Amino acid sequence: MVTLDTKQFDNWMERFSEDKNIQQIKRLTEVISSDAEPEVGQTPKEVIWTKNKAKLYRYQPAIKKTNKVPILMIYALINKPYILDLYPGNSLIEHLTDKGHDVYLLDWGTAGYEDRNMKLEDYIVDYIPRAVNKVMKTSKAKDISLLGYCMGGTMTAVFTALYPQLPIRNLILMTSPIDFKDAGHYSNWLDKRYFQLDKLVDTLGNIPFELIDFGNKLLNPISNVVGPYVSLADRVENEDFVLNWKLMQKWLNDGVPFPGESYRQWIRDFYQENKLINDQLVVRGRKVELANIKANLLNISATRDNIVLPQQIAPLNDKVSSKNKTLHIVETGHVSVVTGRKAVNEIHPYIEKWLTDNSK
Amino acid sequence: MTQTTSYDAFTMWKNVYEKTESTWRDAIQDTLGKESFAESLGQIQSQYLQYQGLVNKLTESYLKQLNLPSREETSNIASLVINVESKVDDLEDQMDVHKSDTSREIEQLKKGINNLDKKMDKVIELISKSIEVQNIPKVTATPTAPTAPTIQPAINAKK
Repeated sequence: MVTLDTKQFDNWMERFSEDKNIQQIKRLTEVISSDAEPEVGQTPKEVIWTKNKAKLYRYQPAIKKTNKVPILMIYALINKPYILDLYPGNSLIEHLTDKGHDVYLLDWGTAGYEDRNMKLEDYIVDYIPRAVNKVMKTSKAKDISLLGYCMGGTMTAVFTALYPQLPIRNLILMTSPIDFKDAGHYSNWLDKRYFQLDKLVDTLGNIPFELIDFGNKLLNPISNVVGPYVSLADRVENEDFVLNWKLMQKWLNDGVPFPGESYRQWIRDFYQENKLINDQLVVRGRKVELANIKANLLNISATRDNIVLPQQIAPLNDKVSSKNKTLHIVETGHVSVVTGRKAVNEIHPYIEKWLTDNSK
Repeated sequence: MTQTTSYDAFTMWKNVYEKTESTWRDAIQDTLGKESFAESLGQIQSQYLQYQGLVNKLTESYLKQLNLPSREETSNIASLVINVESKVDDLEDQMDVHKSDTSREIEQLKKGINNLDKKMDKVIELISKSIEVQNIPKVTATPTAPTAPTIQPAINAKK
């Protein structure tokens, strides 16, 4: 019988598994492949109205509302709105409801192939006014505050300009493009001479999320594709960082298709022809004039935003008739304006205070 | 004295990434901003859409041969459901308008009845006052005093 002395091998194995690099690789593999996805959108809510795929939520209905003006959040047709309620302690909605605000969110849902003919104006004219009506009825308020993020903010601005008779007290726009004269690389890539918009919409119906995501990642390919994994490997032992990384990756890869006709209108009327800022946009036969906006305006722009450039945001303040208007510039990126440490510590409290001050 | 430094693959990877990113960033951004890049992107897009269009047509004809509904036909059913839902929405809106009109009318009716009630109360009050006024002479003319003596003797008589 041959007896092997495995002590040396065991020692080596023990040292191997205790090696910092090996521990990091092990954890990195777990995070990427087998860790459970974090639960998002945890603030309690109830659905108070639905239409087609859209849902109107009211948040924390059980909490006493000390602020008399309800807030309706209007999200973009790209990605999912839970970025506004990402995780407990990292949620704009949670922050506002905890401070006694009555918060509602209009979630457009996931468009199906049958929604490919939905135009932007259908959402603006058929959905938003009804949602506003439902909010007013539920809250029994006399005024309303509207908050739009990204493209949702552009839609909110168009809506506010179209319905000056509605009691819209406050308008908050977060990184919402209004002037498309210089949209960075997008202006080049979406050039009418090369970008085949009609062929794209006619062939695909709805525009897949992957195509939109490809465009966004192409803005800064190395840091958008490799960067997140380098950061994760570097800080994989920091559980808070890993949680935030997983939350962001979940949201970034959890997109929705863009309804085809809305995409056609969004690219043509906004990116290619820049109609909104020039008062040339026509919605259901009605001209959209930004000067009709009289509500108090808080326009938030992020300096490191490469999806919506600061110069696309600021010109709105010169167009509106609002007496109370603020352009708030923050040192963040497009997404970190709503989520992350800076958003939680600075931007959420700023928005809450502005709303409280303008809701008396 | 020798100093031992452990090999850290992650730090090396991070350094390589940072150096590569900073070296290539400007060149990549320059390329992305060129008109020729947009043109190439357009060409790739055109080829992809041509391929996708062909796949769509082939799939549709294949499904037709198998007697199966296409994506278009299935989505048409969904559209019908959405249209019905829109009509229900319109009805709900109209009902809301009617409801508010009806409640406004009921409110006005309530006010009208209240006013009428108050007026009726006044009328009744005035009528009872006028009856009282009409009855005063009768009351004063009631010959209570003369009847007393007639009763009195009767009592006395009993005694």
